[in-house]
Amino acid sequence: MSEFSLQQALNLALRHACEDDDRVLIFGEDVGRLGGVFRVTDGLQAKFGEQRVFDTPLAESGIMGMAVGLAMAGWRPVPEIQFDGFSYPAVDQIVNQVARMHYRSRGTLPMPITLRLPSFGGIRAPEHHSESMEALFAHVPGLKVVSPSSPAEGYHLLRQSIADPDPVIFMEPKSRYWQRESFDPDAPAEQLPVGTSRIVRPGKHATLIAWGAMVSRCLQVAELAAEDGVELEVLDLRWLKPIDADGLAESVSRTRRAVVVHEAPLTAGLGAEVSTVVTERCFDTLRAPVQRVTGFDVPYPSGALEDEYLPSIDRILTAVQTTLEYRRG
Amino acid sequence: MAEVTVPLPDLGEGLIGAKVLEWLVAEGDWVERNTPLVEVETTKSAVELPSPQSGRVTRLHVEADEELAVGEPLVTFTVDDDQAGIVGTVPAEKKPSRRVRLSLPED
Amino acid sequence: MDLTELHRLMLVARRIDEEAIALQRQGALPGYAPTKGQEAAQVGSAAALEKTRDFAFPNYRDLGVAVAMGVDLVGYLATHLGTWHGGLYDPAASRLAPFNAVVGGTVTHAVGWAMGAKLDDTGGVAITYFGDGASSQGDVHEAMNFAAVYRLPVVFFCQNNGWAISVPTERQVAGGSVAARAAGYGMEGVQVDGNDVLAVVEATREAVERGRAGGGPTVIEAMTYRMGPHSTSDDPGRYRTLEEEQAWAEKDPVARAAAQLPPEVVADAERHAAEVVREVREGVLALGDRPGEELFSFVYREPTKALLDQQRTWQESADV
Repeated sequence: MSEFSLQQALNLALRHACEDDDRVLIFGEDVGRLGGVFRVTDGLQAKFGEQRVFDTPLAESGIMGMAVGLAMAGWRPVPEIQFDGFSYPAVDQIVNQVARMHYRSRGTLPMPITLRLPSFGGIRAPEHHSESMEALFAHVPGLKVVSPSSPAEGYHLLRQSIADPDPVIFMEPKSRYWQRESFDPDAPAEQLPVGTSRIVRPGKHATLIAWGAMVSRCLQVAELAAEDGVELEVLDLRWLKPIDADGLAESVSRTRRAVVVHEAPLTAGLGAEVSTVVTERCFDTLRAPVQRVTGFDVPYPSGALEDEYLPSIDRILTAVQTTLEYRRG
Repeated sequence: MAEVTVPLPDLGEGLIGAKVLEWLVAEGDWVERNTPLVEVETTKSAVELPSPQSGRVTRLHVEADEELAVGEPLVTFTVDDDQAGIVGTVPAEKKPSRRVRLSLPED
Repeated sequence: MDLTELHRLMLVARRIDEEAIALQRQGALPGYAPTKGQEAAQVGSAAALEKTRDFAFPNYRDLGVAVAMGVDLVGYLATHLGTWHGGLYDPAASRLAPFNAVVGGTVTHAVGWAMGAKLDDTGGVAITYFGDGASSQGDVHEAMNFAAVYRLPVVFFCQNNGWAISVPTERQVAGGSVAARAAGYGMEGVQVDGNDVLAVVEATREAVERGRAGGGPTVIEAMTYRMGPHSTSDDPGRYRTLEEEQAWAEKDPVARAAAQLPPEVVADAERHAAEVVREVREGVLALGDRPGEELFSFVYREPTKALLDQQRTWQESADV
């Protein structure tokens, strides 16, 4: 058992992935000599050489297009796009090429690409550095989307994503990069299939559903709720595509109330999908409509207004109380 | 924790080395970026070098009155892993607080 | 490959192209991007490749490349037939990527593939096909810059056919030349008569050898002309003159090669092309649709549970 920050856990996962599979290539802007702007690739170029860990010119579409070609040549690319908002120039390659090549080629050209994308807000960053793009990517057939909520989760989910034969958008919650946790990366992890959620904290009165950095926030809420005698279950969705419909239904059918929490804006956010899945599966047992606590339908704000935008403890508690008080007409 | 070694920078005008006149920090000191680090003498002048980064000084590679060439190790820092990335700040872990209280329904 | 063989391939491309247009007019093929006039550029460049280790990344108007690379033409035409986006041939085995409609979208793929080949030290060279219109795309710039920075074995083969649908080259390409852009990336750039098949072979062979020897990428701009419409639903009469089309008809690359060959060689090539056309036509008409469950088959390596649920929904409605 050692203690790792999320940065270090992701670094270790990349290191182990490179050791286990000599077809893994790591590339992106500043990932080589510098070790990445968040140091997630620190030391990897020194260890594995400039052929396997390399800097690219500053062009996100080019990075993803190159990943497609490398995958066609039998490599296992793990590109990084430095920040969420800068993946927009690469959306054409991701949507029109990465996500479709396996389909277009009838399975003859697999795309085992893991795009590492530092994501979400919470660090008082400049504009375009705090975007939540999960709904956009989850909407695209052929992609898988995942976001870890802790160092141990980061380690295992990144290993799983790199080993996966399909393209995965790996959304790293950058506000949690410095969070520490003790775990043994060498201990055999439970091999959960892609698309499996996990219960982080059991409870019986309502289920809080979250991913990425919002899992920690929901755990804080559950701790406070316990002081009031309310036992909240916290479900870490992990995989935003495919979504664990069975896991959601299992939890909510017990607690009979659900609140989904995300940083992204409300309208057409992934919370709408989660809410629908829960409602379809649990309509008869639900005691209240599924509540959504999200960012607002505004551009991600400056640091000074960030706390106003992000789902706060009080907003989540209020939504929980709404489900507790709800009475069917 | 990670170690970062800073070499003697190129002081310009084709100078290839310098002599350390006086260290302005000691091993074990915490220094901020741009803190005066060392006074060195070149064939042209004496100059004060500011620290290129923050960190704890773990090793001074040369004694006062010794000479070193451009590119040779000057000082080693231990830096915290918890440094922010290229943008933004490390979020502070605050004790959670709230105004809203919950109450269970009666049934 | 000598002129006899090159002409033979060009003639096959010409006659298949004509057949595809005929099939479209007969309602058997929903749409097609005619290649007439560009056969020398396509066949000549593809003929310079080694099929064991090189790889080609075509766009949607590169039938001649497919012909020269020996790709199963029924499988290739399956894209235009609307049977399957990307066709039914095996792109990995054929060394020809499945084309798609994103203009310039596959140029960066050639760069990545070339890097992979370089890392594996196979000596393989990637050739990417794009047009004067695609040269305006940012991806083409990114690809050229990446390839030059890494000195990768890539041939950027631009077929400048004069028109990007209705926009002429002078309204598309600043500076008037795609080849000239190579200088900005520190790589070789050449303009070649794209209707002279031997000149195209020579220029491409030189570029491929340069890439193989570690000399980095090359831009080749083959000056040619799209003698037909952009697609079977385009009307070039709305944007260009008959005089221009007639002037280029004089430079028809297939006729130009034929003029240098004995009549009996040309006659033999016609017989061969007619035979290929007959086989392809029969193959196309017999192809049929893919089974409906293939909607779901290739989205992921293994279908997700959600996708299997959707497939069940489809199956239930199909069974009603």
